[in-house]
Amino acid sequence: MKKITGNLVVSILIVSFLIGVSLVAIGAEKKVVINSYMADPAPKETLKKLVDNFEEEYPDYEVTINTYPHEDYKTLIRTWLPSKKASPDIVTWFAGERANFFVEKGLIAPLDDIWGEGKGFEDYFPRAFKSISQFEGKTYFLPQSWYWWGFWYRESVFEELNLTEPVTWNQFLNVCEKLKENGYTPITIGSKFRWTAAGWFDYLNLRLNGADFHMKLMKGEASYDTQKVRKVFEHWKQLLDRGYFIENHTSYSWQEGAKFLFNKEAGMYLMGQFIQDVVSDEEIKDDLNFFRFPIMDASVPIAEETPTDGYMIPKNAPHPEAAKTFMHYLATKQSQWFFAEELNRIAANKNIEPSKYDPMVQKGLRMINRSDKVTQFYDRDTKPAMADKAMDQFVKFMVNPGQIDQVLNALEAQREKTFE
Amino acid sequence: MLIPVILYGIWVIAPIFYTIFLSFTQWDGLTAPTFIGIGNYVDLLQDPIFYTALFNNIKWLLIYVLVPLPLGLGFAMFFNRSLPGVKLFKTAIYLPLTLSFVVLSQIWTWIYQPKYGAINVTLKALGLENLTVAWLSNSDVVTYSLIVVGCWPQTAYTMVLFLAGLQNIPTEVMEAAKVDGANKWQTFWKIILPLLRPATIIAVAVTIIQSLRMFAIVNVMTRGGPFRSSEVLANYMYVEGFKNYSMGYASALAVVLFLIILLFVFIYLYQIFKTEVEY
Repeated sequence: MKKITGNLVVSILIVSFLIGVSLVAIGAEKKVVINSYMADPAPKETLKKLVDNFEEEYPDYEVTINTYPHEDYKTLIRTWLPSKKASPDIVTWFAGERANFFVEKGLIAPLDDIWGEGKGFEDYFPRAFKSISQFEGKTYFLPQSWYWWGFWYRESVFEELNLTEPVTWNQFLNVCEKLKENGYTPITIGSKFRWTAAGWFDYLNLRLNGADFHMKLMKGEASYDTQKVRKVFEHWKQLLDRGYFIENHTSYSWQEGAKFLFNKEAGMYLMGQFIQDVVSDEEIKDDLNFFRFPIMDASVPIAEETPTDGYMIPKNAPHPEAAKTFMHYLATKQSQWFFAEELNRIAANKNIEPSKYDPMVQKGLRMINRSDKVTQFYDRDTKPAMADKAMDQFVKFMVNPGQIDQVLNALEAQREKTFE
Repeated sequence: MLIPVILYGIWVIAPIFYTIFLSFTQWDGLTAPTFIGIGNYVDLLQDPIFYTALFNNIKWLLIYVLVPLPLGLGFAMFFNRSLPGVKLFKTAIYLPLTLSFVVLSQIWTWIYQPKYGAINVTLKALGLENLTVAWLSNSDVVTYSLIVVGCWPQTAYTMVLFLAGLQNIPTEVMEAAKVDGANKWQTFWKIILPLLRPATIIAVAVTIIQSLRMFAIVNVMTRGGPFRSSEVLANYMYVEGFKNYSMGYASALAVVLFLIILLFVFIYLYQIFKTEVEY
């Protein structure tokens, strides 16, 4: 009896395998598998629609999207890329140093032949994007969209208290004070996953010391244990000492931190444009606005963070030619506009007329156009080990603002270790 | 016999030796590892997070032995009788053990939430506002908050082990004690506890090993935060290896954790092979 059951199980397995194989063979000729970290509902839905549009235009292609939670994705990608069997055809990823990490190791395929007859990277994207997409003269990263950072606030709260968008640091401190006097927590943040605190470090450093020094720091070429970096923490401490930040922020994810802004317990949130993705209430969405991180030293050229997301083709991709066709589609004006419009991002494609964007996006775009320099983000501009340890220190500092010396020492020790 | 040995060799023995080898290298998990001798171990000894993690693991171990074990024994003693409804209570206590650690952690994250969580809301309602704590973000209490979560299923687990042990105690021995006029206290200390020795050894060993390899609760609830104050060795190893691309360093951590657990396993085996109690 046992034997019969065993044989039965084996035959069922074989038959179902054969059916599976033939189904695949009957289906689309050209397959593309995308692994994606777009797990929030809005971007996930948009990518799905984008793929549907592509399949309509290219009927013999079949595109599969595998979505992974953002934090897990960053770990898993390292198991796919070196694998000859498990590699997808396209991965979503971050521009700049984070992309270069894999390119350096020979795990990414170049994209220089996807642009079409007589065309090149510059026919699609601004020249400035070369520095975050091309490494050693070849293009490896296809930028899709980017977003800006700013202080988000609710217009109704600012109206109620008669506040205007602050431009300078002193004006900003006044806004904080006024919010506090009226029972609001001036600034919310959710620092459980730490990177939100890195946003604060980036901006304070960019405003006080400028983008050139900031990038030197990111590349390990400048010391953390200097007067310049100390100044960053001293200004940060000013806000912490006055109790401007929300309590217990290490308990909250960035989304949970945003809730305090939405329900008017807190006044402002330093965050990327994607904060709009997590507002479900239309009324709050319309009430939400942002202003540029205040200017702290007028002699420092203005820099902004413009993290750019996009795609790469792994070297081991099983269907590289089909993947390139899809990548070409992703670069086109039409698909870039579709994605950007749905999510209020800014498309990387340079041929899109700025006036087509939503007024809020136009405001962001204007802000960036009036900036002198752009950076990506702390954990995108520096090495992973440095970013991991530094973000611990930023959160630790926010809880213990008195320990500037210890924080500077720890940061410098890690820089020496990572960039030795 | 040959096939199990080969499988065991491939899936258990070989990875152990490979990890030991990796702990002497620098490896990003992508390119070829480079041999750096004991460099990782030297770094380890100077790494403050390593000591935090080690110290936290010791906290886990001590509390795990001191709380869920006696509690589990108490429940087992109480439920080892046929009373109406006893099965229901047994099941109720056993239930958390059937949940995965990830689910448990998610539930407790809500309970601990500082503003709207069950604990703080209850405290506020009772007028005990000054007792409210940010359970998961106060670096002084966070590890204890996590250990409480672990103790819940661990108590159920030890209860089951002790219940099984109690079933094995022959009724004749108990009756003989009764005939000889031993009171309840004497019966417990002089008869039940010595006869429960095999169950106790297993319960202690499992509890110790569980406490040392604790990963899921820490990873899901705090990721070792805030700023690594609730870090444990297993999670630190994971973060170093898979997030920071330092496989060599993570392997060194794994070896240290392995040695600590091995020590306890040896104590456990030693106890097992000692002669069993006669009756």
